[in-house]
Amino acid sequence: MLSRAAERVYWTGRYLERAENTARIVQQYSQLLLDLPVEAGVEWTELVRIVGAAAAYRDSGKDETEAQILDFLLADRSSPVSLIFAIGMARENVRNTRDLLPQESWENVNELYQYALKSLTPAVEGRNRFDVLSEVIGRCQQINGVLRGTMSHHTPFHFLVLGQSIERADMTSRIVDVAAAYVQHNETLVRRYGSSLWTNVLKSVSGFQMYRQYCQPQVEGFRVIDFLLRDTAFPRAVGACVEQAKASSARLPRAERTVAALDGVASAIESSSGGQMTATDVSHWMDELQKGLGHVHQAIVDTWFLPGDSA
Amino acid sequence: MKLASNNYDPGTFYDELIAGDGSARPHATRLAEYFSDMDPRELDERQRAVDSTIVDMGISFTIYSEGDNIDRAWPLDLVPRAMPGSEWDRVEAGLAQRLRALNLFIDDLYNDRKILKDKVVPADIIDSSRNYLEPCKGFSPRHGVWANICGTDLVRGGDGTVYVLEDNLRVPSGVSYMLENRNVIKRVFPSLFKNHNVRPVSEYPTQLSDMLHSIASPRPDGEKPEVVVLTPGIYNSAYFEHSYLARTMGVELVEGGDLVVGDDDCVYMRSVEGLKHVDTIYRRIDDVFIDPEAFRPDSMLGVPGIMRAWQKGNVALANAPGSGVADDKVVYSYVPDIIRYYLSEDEIIPNVPTWRCADPKHLDHVIANIADLVVKPANESGGYGMLVGPHATKAEHDKFRELLKADPRNYIAQPTLDLSTAPTLCEDGLEPRHLDLRPFILQGESVSVTAGGLTRVAMQKGSLVVNSSQGGGSKDTWIVEDKS
Repeated sequence: MLSRAAERVYWTGRYLERAENTARIVQQYSQLLLDLPVEAGVEWTELVRIVGAAAAYRDSGKDETEAQILDFLLADRSSPVSLIFAIGMARENVRNTRDLLPQESWENVNELYQYALKSLTPAVEGRNRFDVLSEVIGRCQQINGVLRGTMSHHTPFHFLVLGQSIERADMTSRIVDVAAAYVQHNETLVRRYGSSLWTNVLKSVSGFQMYRQYCQPQVEGFRVIDFLLRDTAFPRAVGACVEQAKASSARLPRAERTVAALDGVASAIESSSGGQMTATDVSHWMDELQKGLGHVHQAIVDTWFLPGDSA
Repeated sequence: MKLASNNYDPGTFYDELIAGDGSARPHATRLAEYFSDMDPRELDERQRAVDSTIVDMGISFTIYSEGDNIDRAWPLDLVPRAMPGSEWDRVEAGLAQRLRALNLFIDDLYNDRKILKDKVVPADIIDSSRNYLEPCKGFSPRHGVWANICGTDLVRGGDGTVYVLEDNLRVPSGVSYMLENRNVIKRVFPSLFKNHNVRPVSEYPTQLSDMLHSIASPRPDGEKPEVVVLTPGIYNSAYFEHSYLARTMGVELVEGGDLVVGDDDCVYMRSVEGLKHVDTIYRRIDDVFIDPEAFRPDSMLGVPGIMRAWQKGNVALANAPGSGVADDKVVYSYVPDIIRYYLSEDEIIPNVPTWRCADPKHLDHVIANIADLVVKPANESGGYGMLVGPHATKAEHDKFRELLKADPRNYIAQPTLDLSTAPTLCEDGLEPRHLDLRPFILQGESVSVTAGGLTRVAMQKGSLVVNSSQGGGSKDTWIVEDKS
């Protein structure tokens, strides 16, 4: 398989996942703000921090109103963290690898793009925001279903899964990071509204139900963190994403460096214990996790996308 | 003869299927019967079946319009264009003869220049050609063949004679549509083929693959050569074809960034397995874009160093850089002389009579008779930059007179041809529409010619413009056996 094609399929996986996660976070955040009283002090700017775009947001010259922040996160095509940007990039990558992917995936991603173009700006203004984001999530899942259901498990598929797993691990860890930081800074409020906060964290990754079924019925902060980081059975937990990425890279040629980098992340997760960590520990540890994922990405790029350049 | 309850009348033009007295030509009898049994509604239904098959099969072409690239469904008329096998045998021999001579000519131009020294072709025509590439001098590709893939445009005049209109020796396109047109017509009219002995076209990808393998230098390790198709990318108008040919040959479709020239001056492809040696590149990128080191430094499409690799014989390029020197309408006018010079044979397929504006006497004639002539620039393709005298205004005539005087070397003129017609489904049933034919000729170790080629149709009544970028359509092309 050509390196360029592998790279595009990998980024298709990442951007599709990023699109879905962005829609999920914004949707859950909108819900959370409805649940919490104003004095809880949860602000829309937290969302910009979750997606790691605080600096880019300052540079954009936008103010901190809901409308401006949501425009930046959803409809602004010049914002590198916006939903429309992720969908547009996914479409561009699928378009360039049409020969490798199932025909319907191109049609679906193209329809998703057309839908997002016309629906996201009104959604920023609040009209049907919930419906529009649900529709985007549903369409992303549909595309995922087509890919998972009709694509042979050969090299392109493994690159797709690799991109998706790494993006998902990245986003889940960011969500946990921001929640932990909030908890640290707002102890009194957390005592009153904590479970509502953590319920929303779980819901933002569709993990509420599985947490209650397989972890425990009570929603407790440290258990939620533990679940979202270390669980290997829940598909959006970091541990499961790393396992998934390992399984896919093991099927690719010359995978040693990537597998080693993934092992590094896996053992870091293993050695952590959410129960004993303070929020500062969590935050520090998250930085390590982000760095570890960065190493994995770099290993993938050097090994498969730029052969000959770094050899 | 009644076709589809319409009185089909080709008028004074030569029709490919129906003779002047209204009867079907012998090779087209059953074909004409088949379609004359259909009423207009049935014809429309069948055309819709053709159109939806094309959409289902994803046969498209890309046009650039209003700053956006749009994929359009490929236009295919339901009535095939047929030619008798006995006639085609002669045309085929003529096409092979022509390409052999042109390749000897190109090889001579970059080496001994004998034909120029013998003054058969004036040297200044070659030296002033922007398609003559200095870096190619002193080189000779494998088998001495430069233009490995040629698309020659043929037209039939009012008297039934088949002429060569132009030779496309750079990156001719259309062959994928020839193949797909046949696939679509076979799907929609399976029974039609039972009654006819139509020569197949489907072996083209195999022949292309064989040719591309035959021009690779043998590997020291005895491995099979690695062939790739090099495309400018998905925004190119012929991307469908690039992807189609790579897929049907079972080789990689690469872009410039996928290839890298190593310190050993060999070309490698970046793959997830690592770097892979590449032996033959079927490049669908124009000469000046293939190597930013050698030609246009601003080219983002090419591969830096690829000319160096080619000159050292480490990679074969099809067509070889510099082949375009023979794809020039002034050179075209000398092709009969070129055939005689190298092969000591007369040309089998004649050229369209051509006035060279570089010749003062010819120029005077063209300026005086511009209203009756077609004037073409020497180096454009796709029907751009030309003047169709009878269809142009007086102001346009004057504009071209000035252009000719300013740069006579760059223009030729030809009489307006009465292009042949074939029944084509239009608003009011089957009507005659003008068409041409582009067969594809391959030359590596040996020469092969497609059975027929891509027939392009001007869909507007009276129009001679067949280019798909300008609203032209197409037909499946049948070479029908007429000998028992």
